[in-house]
Amino acid sequence: MVATLVQVDNLRKEFGNVRALDGVSFRVDAGEWIAIMGPSGSGKTTLINILGGLDTPTAGQAMVDGTDVARLDEAGLTRFRAEKIGFIFQQFHLLPYLTAVENVMLAQYFHSTTDEKEAQQSLERVGLGDRIEHLPSQLSGGEQQRVAVARALINHPKLILADEPTGNLDEANEDIVLSLLRELHAEGHTILMVTHAPSIGRLADRRIEFAHGHLVQSAAALKPELA
Amino acid sequence: MFARLVGESFARNPRRKVLTAVALVIGMAVATATLTIALEVGDRLAREFRSLGANLLVTPESDTLPVEIGGVDYRPVDEGAYLNEVDLGKLKTIFWRHNILGFTPFLDVPASVSETGGATTLIGTWYQHQVRVPDGTEFETGASATHPWWKVQGRWFRDGAAECVVGLSVAEKYPAALGIGKTIHVAQEGASADIRPLVVTGIISTGDAEDNAVLVPLSVAQEISGHPGKFRQLFVSALTKPADALAERGERAQTDKNIQLTPTEYDRWFCSPYISSIGFQIRTVLPGTEVHAIRRVAETEGRILTRVGMLLWIVTLAALGAAALAVAATSATTVLERRSEIGVMKALGASNALVGGIFLAEQMLLAIVGGAIGFFVGAGLARFLGESVFGTPAAPRLILFPVVLALAAIVAMIGSLVPLRRAAHFRPAVILRGE
Amino acid sequence: MFWRMVFQLLRGSRGRLAVAILAIVSGAAVISALLNLDLGVQNKLTQQFRTLGANIVISPASGAPAQISAAEVPSLMPERDVLEALRKLPSAQVTAAAPYLYIVARAQNHPVVVAGTWLDQAQKLDATWKLEGNWVASRADDARCLVGRNVVRRLHLAVGNPLEVHYLDRSAQCNIAGIVDAGGAEDNQVFASLRAVQSLANLPGQIGLAQVSVTGTARVVAEYSARLAAALPQSQVRPIRQVAEAEGALLGRIRLLIVSMVLLILILTALCVLGTMAALAMERRKDVGLMKSLGGSISRIVGIFLAEVGVLGAAGGLVGTILGAALSYWMGLRVFGTAISPRWEVFPATIALMIVVTLTGALPLRMLGNTKPAEILRGE
Repeated sequence: MVATLVQVDNLRKEFGNVRALDGVSFRVDAGEWIAIMGPSGSGKTTLINILGGLDTPTAGQAMVDGTDVARLDEAGLTRFRAEKIGFIFQQFHLLPYLTAVENVMLAQYFHSTTDEKEAQQSLERVGLGDRIEHLPSQLSGGEQQRVAVARALINHPKLILADEPTGNLDEANEDIVLSLLRELHAEGHTILMVTHAPSIGRLADRRIEFAHGHLVQSAAALKPELA
Repeated sequence: MFARLVGESFARNPRRKVLTAVALVIGMAVATATLTIALEVGDRLAREFRSLGANLLVTPESDTLPVEIGGVDYRPVDEGAYLNEVDLGKLKTIFWRHNILGFTPFLDVPASVSETGGATTLIGTWYQHQVRVPDGTEFETGASATHPWWKVQGRWFRDGAAECVVGLSVAEKYPAALGIGKTIHVAQEGASADIRPLVVTGIISTGDAEDNAVLVPLSVAQEISGHPGKFRQLFVSALTKPADALAERGERAQTDKNIQLTPTEYDRWFCSPYISSIGFQIRTVLPGTEVHAIRRVAETEGRILTRVGMLLWIVTLAALGAAALAVAATSATTVLERRSEIGVMKALGASNALVGGIFLAEQMLLAIVGGAIGFFVGAGLARFLGESVFGTPAAPRLILFPVVLALAAIVAMIGSLVPLRRAAHFRPAVILRGE
Repeated sequence: MFWRMVFQLLRGSRGRLAVAILAIVSGAAVISALLNLDLGVQNKLTQQFRTLGANIVISPASGAPAQISAAEVPSLMPERDVLEALRKLPSAQVTAAAPYLYIVARAQNHPVVVAGTWLDQAQKLDATWKLEGNWVASRADDARCLVGRNVVRRLHLAVGNPLEVHYLDRSAQCNIAGIVDAGGAEDNQVFASLRAVQSLANLPGQIGLAQVSVTGTARVVAEYSARLAAALPQSQVRPIRQVAEAEGALLGRIRLLIVSMVLLILILTALCVLGTMAALAMERRKDVGLMKSLGGSISRIVGIFLAEVGVLGAAGGLVGTILGAALSYWMGLRVFGTAISPRWEVFPATIALMIVVTLTGALPLRMLGNTKPAEILRGE
């Protein structure tokens, strides 16, 4: 029996008059790679922001690893972000004045203590062993995103959230990052990835379609069969 | 189109401009206030220094040695030369008549006071006296102007009345006889037949020789001494400009035949309120006199005024520097903040010159508006400062308006230029990516 | 990691920080220079005022301090008591002090005021005296005297000539060492040693007057005056009002003027630094959003930036304060001819001020405490 990692129930998010999420419910098991797809403005980014503790819903429930993210206060959210989640942004969001290894150590710093050796190893893991002391301005887009991946992994998160991780990359770099994600999936990590490209969506175990803040029934089953 | 772009850019996003605007208003207000004060302060302080009293002394040219101790002349009335009271109005006809703030004649008479049974000196003078000036007006002057530290318990004598003010030391020795309201009887020493009654209206304490004497109106002293219309020395309080090289040359040229002033130099010297040129002009209208600066007062005043003036200009410069820095820094910061706008404009195909031009024009516009507001705030500030420090508000100098605006514009421009030049080198993509 | 971050922040943002550093350094320089100046100016100006002459006079309690005609006995007080009281005064503030004995003697059959005093103090008590010839250096010098220019003119004498004076049935002689041009009553007087005049008048150990010149504010002068009065119950001790009052009022005005201008500059400088700091902080918004998403609490995040601007403020403040000390030193030389030495209190005060102002500029970041990272990262 596989454990349920994420359970979303009737999640709603309103920005003023706009309903970004309109009663979304779904479930994710541990080890699954889910692609969240749909046109822009459909609410995909809003959803994973909430799941990552970067935003709070207006109503509903979002259980991640047994914690209802919707009920957490600011202090709780802070801990949640550090311990449970690894986030990969479309724009990388590396601090421009920190080197690659320091950007990874930053995640360690907010989690518990820093371990430069471990951070170096994580960079080697993503193939950047010779770029450890480089500043982001000295790295290509793909390299920057790989640093972001290393950063997302360093605290052994329960859930990896990726928002259009290859959106800002060229084809060659896109391939590198995607193969990295495949490796992570093979190692057993749970990945929720937002993408608008069907070719990328096909890499995932399951696709969840969004439109106008709703889930749309898709070809793949919504709830996986119990193994 | 350019003007429209500038106008739109200026009107949009007011929040970003708040910082620069505030810095401009406050900076230019401070600049205006300090400049206004600095321009006036020389005059104001010079006026303040007149509280030190007279700075010129007029005495008869051919005179015997005054037997003077502590400022009181003990000579018998028959000795020495006198000056005429009627001539004094002419002092308000010289070129620098408006700088003559006051003058006071003195006539000291050795006398005896019946109540004390001993010799006392009568100091005859004006306290508040109306002098007739040849042009028909009247000028009020006297010790109130030239000896402002003279304070009496009680009140001063009325001009020409049979009243007197007694010195503290004398009053303390004979408190019963010489109290306020009592009448004393005085006569010239040695001429005890002609006794005058005088009512004591006040008691004076100066820490100087007046404490041991009795002050009477000049006319009373003249009558008692038998020299009507006369006096021995005149103290003059004049608003002067601190001495510099020209002043000294002018002064030495009075006595030293080897030193000659050129006609231009002479004009400049005559038309500057140096103490030497005012003294020269006084001597011209009062023939038969010697006029000397009371150096103790004149020099101290000159020295301090020069120093304080210098100091205040330095402080003013510092204020201007701080204002300029505030404006430049906030201009630079604002331009840096708006890098993304620059990126967008360049991405749309605007040349560096155009982008720079729009931003500069906008900053200058902001500078002029902010500077103008700052000027009025500063003028108010200057009034307030003048009021609290000197007691009279400082009037705004309109000539500073264009100066302050120009300063604001120039400094805002310089402040913006540096980051704009750096932004010119950036590729739009880099800026838009947010680095 | 904390300090590593701070260091990297400082190193990495050099361009943006340039404006901020400039503002801090020059702000600190101006403030510390003006603070040094303000503290030093009052001192210097007070010294300048001493050229007005004595500000305290000691006279006998009973009446006129002078002799009107040769036959009368003057009002006198014992020299010894006065000198004792003067000696007890702390000497730091006393610029000069001298006793006087005035008599009206005759020279070439003209009445002339002769003042016996300490000739070595003459120049110090009245710095505006001009002298043709030489000063008399020792108060014990009975042989020489200083003569006012009007006396010299009237009696047709010159430097080096002997001057003979007669008093009652006695006479004395002295050599004219210098001619005094005082621009005041002293031009009509003769100054000789106190001993010589006391012996001429046959009044040994007696003086008619003492003058003291004290540096300090009006309050200091009043204090000294009171102390002397207490030590000399038989005499009158009074501040010379002309000098004391005018000086007090003038100093007050000048000080007020300088202080208000300094305050204006202070406010302006603080504003400038605050503004650039605030702008700098706003640029860090996105970084704050990112760090929140990594699980950083707002206090830890803001702590890093506060440390950054704090270091800026401290370093810039230090450099600026040193510059300011040099500036005030130079200004003192330029304006007063003597350097104003920087006061040590100005250093920590200015640096602290700069740190406080820079920290205040960074505090707006604290307001991002409750903002969701998603909102911040969404971008402007």
